[in-house]
Amino acid sequence: MAFTATVGNQQVSCGEDQSMLDAFLRAGVWMPNSCNQGTCGTCKLRVVDGDVDHGDSPADTLTAEEREAGLALACQARLRSDSVVETLGGAVGGGITHPLRDLTATVLSNDEIARDTRRLLLELPEPLAFHPGQYVELTVPGTQLRRQYSLANTADEDKVLELHVRSVSGGAATERWIFTSMAVGDQIPVTGPLGDFFLPAEDSDDGGPMVLIGGGTGLAPLIGLARTALSRDPGRRVLLYHGVRGVDDLYNLDQMAELTKVYPAFTFVPVLSHEAPAAESVHREGFPTDHFIEDVDSARGWSGWLCGPPPMVEAGVRAFKRRRMAPRMIHREKFTPATD
Amino acid sequence: MTTTSETTTPDRSWIADITMTELERNPYQAYERLRQEAPLAFVPVLGSYVASTADICREIATSPDFEAVITPAGGRTFGHPAIIGVNGDIHSDLRGMVEPQLQPVEVDRWVDDLVRPIARRYLEAFEADGHADIVTQFAEPVSVRSLGDLLGLQDVSSDKLRQWFGQLSRSFTNAAMTEDGEFVNPDGFVEGDVARAEIQAAVDPLIDKWIEEPAETAISHWLHDGMPPGKTRDRQYIYPTIYVYLLGAMQEPGHGIASTLVGLFSEPEQMEEVVDDPTLIPRAISEGMRWTSPIWSATARISKVPVTIAGVDLPANTPVILSYGSANHDTGVYDAPTRYDIKRPPLPHLAFGAGNHACAGIYYANHVMRIALEELFEAIPNLERNTSTDIEFWGWGFRGPTSLPVDWEV
Repeated sequence: MAFTATVGNQQVSCGEDQSMLDAFLRAGVWMPNSCNQGTCGTCKLRVVDGDVDHGDSPADTLTAEEREAGLALACQARLRSDSVVETLGGAVGGGITHPLRDLTATVLSNDEIARDTRRLLLELPEPLAFHPGQYVELTVPGTQLRRQYSLANTADEDKVLELHVRSVSGGAATERWIFTSMAVGDQIPVTGPLGDFFLPAEDSDDGGPMVLIGGGTGLAPLIGLARTALSRDPGRRVLLYHGVRGVDDLYNLDQMAELTKVYPAFTFVPVLSHEAPAAESVHREGFPTDHFIEDVDSARGWSGWLCGPPPMVEAGVRAFKRRRMAPRMIHREKFTPATD
Repeated sequence: MTTTSETTTPDRSWIADITMTELERNPYQAYERLRQEAPLAFVPVLGSYVASTADICREIATSPDFEAVITPAGGRTFGHPAIIGVNGDIHSDLRGMVEPQLQPVEVDRWVDDLVRPIARRYLEAFEADGHADIVTQFAEPVSVRSLGDLLGLQDVSSDKLRQWFGQLSRSFTNAAMTEDGEFVNPDGFVEGDVARAEIQAAVDPLIDKWIEEPAETAISHWLHDGMPPGKTRDRQYIYPTIYVYLLGAMQEPGHGIASTLVGLFSEPEQMEEVVDDPTLIPRAISEGMRWTSPIWSATARISKVPVTIAGVDLPANTPVILSYGSANHDTGVYDAPTRYDIKRPPLPHLAFGAGNHACAGIYYANHVMRIALEELFEAIPNLERNTSTDIEFWGWGFRGPTSLPVDWEV
């Protein structure tokens, strides 16, 4: 059984067990979304007419008053009747939407690139359109568990997806699958693209300076974003900080060196939080957000991009505002713990 | 042993001890007690009945048994016919005169282009300084310049417009009355008279010009709209409404911006949320308007017939001052009303009044405040309150912070 959701002048069929967000994105209708697990509230919408089942919507994200007022989380809510909904915010990404798709990918490589860190290359049977910085979901074989990994690719690298995965102690996806049983040649289901962590459309990108701060494998989407921004505007100032515990956690250093060589206004700053840098090394000690404050006097007119654990992202938001970056120019992708 | 049965009349003598100075410094204590003990009471210092709860304010504001009346001090300041104190055909004509420019579809057409550059200009003047008084350097100038330009007063400086609303405001709320119904402080109206004379000297030549050459300014529209060809409204007929604008509409968006900021500073987490997500600004403003209502106690109604309200018998022709700032702290409606909290249930408030005299500029004012705060947080997202001094609020008729020193890293 399916119900119809009407948003603006578009109609989308939603299956009984399908979230509204899933149905909209598959139909190529853009809806703001970020975490897709009910914790961020980005996909909040208003149900103007009709009934929904809020499913597992957390009370913190969708309060009783908001439910009363007709709001719903598109990533959690299922339609229970034909409904009319409206989004609360404006469209982003220049209105260009890449439909959500399910594909079966082949594992091309699964290499250890740093301490407890793997790079997965997944070959797709056909190209997948996405915005650099978005993510895909992998389903752990034999389970319903889904895990989200950012793409390190640029938009033209649409046949082989690059994901960076860090091992999580006891993790169903990492310890019991990617780091142990996943083999080259395995066929795995991939769903994507998802998320709102991407650059403005090229014609509305002002080419302004950018600072990107990644913690651990939070580097992945920043690589796609930085390379895309630099190819749009090779003279653009791009500062990329990679925060890790120690030297053994750093990776993609050759790629960073190459970017530094090709683009004089690109700077890569590796920052070690738990290790003193060796004498004369380029590594810095401490936290990347503190180094940003030391390095940049004013971030007026800059955009900021943060991907990593929530405390790092929150420290980054504060650091950017302290240097007077406009809050609407601050973009964040938080690693949120799996809820299952 | 004998027992006597006594009926005790509650002691209301404290109401006679309320002073204007106390109300202007902080009306909340006296009004909290009024709401509890005498929500519709005659307050001698004001020479008038006062309604202090949400229910009674709303009932009177929307009752067919009441019509508008201007407070005595307000009438002395503005003259007749001011839009806030008239009824019937004159009121309909004046509302019909001001409303076309204030319709949401009309405001949407120009408000961003009007207000945003003004807000940016004032921010540019001090954003490199690292410190400012938000009231005098931003909230008030943005408020007066936006409306001044809309009215057609581009040549009147923002400082002059701020001076005028201050003079008119103090005169309008020079409300203390003797037992004989005389003003306690008649000299308090002098500065209002001075302001009116200056306003007429500045606006008369513009009116002369707009009578001959209609322009896209609000006052020009007031002269011409709805009039037969070749006729204009008499200037003396529209001046009292010009004063209403030059006081309330000039001063109050500035009060609203500043009070909202003070409220947000009192809740640092909410401040951070609003700075990070500008879509929350309208909600922050709505709560700011409830928390410290800019038009705290400046409008009144008068009974047309004998009525009984909340158990109080009022003869015909009894004026009642509607204290919306008090109604918006009514614990029957709001939990912990003295706390600024954007998370509270978004219940309607009375900051813009109710009934057919509800503020005509609600939509415009809300957008001026929104755009001002959007630009402020965009330019200075690291705004911090300077805590070396306490923030002082002032006013009973109109209320807001007198200054708001802030710092930021540059």
